[in-house]
Amino acid sequence: MLVGGIIIGLIVGLIVSRIIFLRKSTTSNTQPIVPIVETLPSEAEAPVAELNSVLNAIPLGVVVTDEQGNIVLGSHVVAGVEILRHIDVLVNEAAERIIKKSRELGSTVRETLELFGPPPRTLVIEARPLEGLKSIAIIEDISERTRIDAVRTDFVANISHELKTPVGALSILADTIRDEDDLKVIHRLSSKMVKEANRMAKTIDDLLELSRIELDVSAVLEPVSIFSVIAESIDRMAYFAAQAGISIVSQLPEADCVVKGDRLQLVSAVSNLVDNAVKYSEKGDKVTVRVSALEATLEVSVSDEGIGIPQSDIGRIFERFYRVDRARSRGTGGTGLGLSIVRHVVNNHGGSVNVTSQEGEGSTFVLTLLRPSGNNAVNKI
Amino acid sequence: MEELRKGFHHELDEVRLSLARLAATVIEAIPRATNVLLAGDLEGAEYLILADDEIDSRSIALEDRCYQLLALQAPVAGDLRQLISILKMVGEIERSADLLVNIAKAARRIYGHALDPKLRGIIAKMGEQAQQLFTSALQSFEENDVAIAGAIDDMDSYLDSLQRQFVQAIFESHAAGSIDLQVAIQLAVVARFYERIGDHAVNIGERVLFIVSGWRPEHRGAARHTAKMGQDDTYGIPIPKSTATEG
Repeated sequence: MLVGGIIIGLIVGLIVSRIIFLRKSTTSNTQPIVPIVETLPSEAEAPVAELNSVLNAIPLGVVVTDEQGNIVLGSHVVAGVEILRHIDVLVNEAAERIIKKSRELGSTVRETLELFGPPPRTLVIEARPLEGLKSIAIIEDISERTRIDAVRTDFVANISHELKTPVGALSILADTIRDEDDLKVIHRLSSKMVKEANRMAKTIDDLLELSRIELDVSAVLEPVSIFSVIAESIDRMAYFAAQAGISIVSQLPEADCVVKGDRLQLVSAVSNLVDNAVKYSEKGDKVTVRVSALEATLEVSVSDEGIGIPQSDIGRIFERFYRVDRARSRGTGGTGLGLSIVRHVVNNHGGSVNVTSQEGEGSTFVLTLLRPSGNNAVNKI
Repeated sequence: MEELRKGFHHELDEVRLSLARLAATVIEAIPRATNVLLAGDLEGAEYLILADDEIDSRSIALEDRCYQLLALQAPVAGDLRQLISILKMVGEIERSADLLVNIAKAARRIYGHALDPKLRGIIAKMGEQAQQLFTSALQSFEENDVAIAGAIDDMDSYLDSLQRQFVQAIFESHAAGSIDLQVAIQLAVVARFYERIGDHAVNIGERVLFIVSGWRPEHRGAARHTAKMGQDDTYGIPIPKSTATEG
């Protein structure tokens, strides 16, 4: 907030001084002979153009009006990512409305504008009066901050849910067994206890693995054959896939490729993706693992023909414990940490992970990993 | 050259801006409606239904403003085409907003019924495509861009084919027993709403063509009629040449 205040202060200062400067240059230039008047507009425009380019370089939108409330200066409203046309129109409208309100009240007016997008954006527009009936509106894009806040609150809610549910189940089951004489019931309840305990253990394992990967203490960077990583990842899921009637197909380039990385981490990332692909597919579907070697990078993609991911959730699936459909994921037995692990592994390797998905048609996850320059074939190492 | 009707043109610019803002409000509401439907968001549905009142009131204000300008300023040529087209476009936009309200109401009626991923996927696509069409319509209007305006019709055929796919998917889903008949019918109607929103965007694009060139798609039919009847029913008003690619 403090930094924002300073930036706003700076801009206001800058604009006020520029406007004063503009005025001075106009008054001093109008005095002499006629031809200079002709050059006046361009001379006046030059500082405005300069000012506009300065404003556009700052990640805040700024609108300045004159004494009558006409807009004399405006920078691009939302900096950064490509902005949709209608959002531009709506933000301008809101800025105009808020400036008007501020002019009427003679005080600062601050409003938050939530736009659905996509992608969703949250903007704060603050209009305040300037000296001599002029006014300024500052538009700040707080989408990222809002998103991070949401991630944080959801994380606390989700982790307590994930850890407390099995513990609660265990204690109730144990409590019931204590007063139970019927062996059959005891057997049934205890096997449920085992299931809950396993679930808990898996969550803790994944959490530990995630924090290990996050800290990156276990990483051993060495040349790793990508074929062996793929083979091992598919191998891990082969049994479950066969049982569920889902086929896993791999499409590999002719020659094996190497990446520099930690073998265990890479296997963990790819097998997590294959695991998800199998889990969210239906009987008879196909999961494809494809490797394509590009000049400087290697792409490992895992595609399925499963249920897909809703557009509104796609930006959040890499968050820890984030679930698209809580009811369903309890059935699949995942911990909600798999994709977080994937993201951290690729970050550790200087790569990236992208996802495209269409509900009802399937999802494709693409890992992009860096290739060590020079030696590309395994046998050269 | 001295601008003779500066005051009027300033007002015309403001009317254009108001129309753009009205369209932008609807463009913003399209993904909201889709989300209301997919997430079963009752609060969002209520919001959309209430927000339509504002659109109605703004549409009326804009329409009245156009009447006033027509009566008091007696615009001619391009200015006249603009005002008349804006009057028509207000109707298209206002009707599209009503269709979004209908989608929100349908979302309430099917609340609690799970939709299978295939249906959800096509709904998402229809929503995106309808928004895309409307965005293009807005862009063509703001920039008087005939090329974009002419393309909207072709873009709309994708939305039409999505609607057909969706109806097919509804049959399959209903046959498989995953949705009951009432939900199936609601969904079929929803598909129709999206398809209609696309049609309104096409109409806006056609009005842009009219503003720029005076050409209307109905001229094609009119020309065929003239050829068939061997007489000219156009009262001697020449048919402008199409600047758009004719389909």
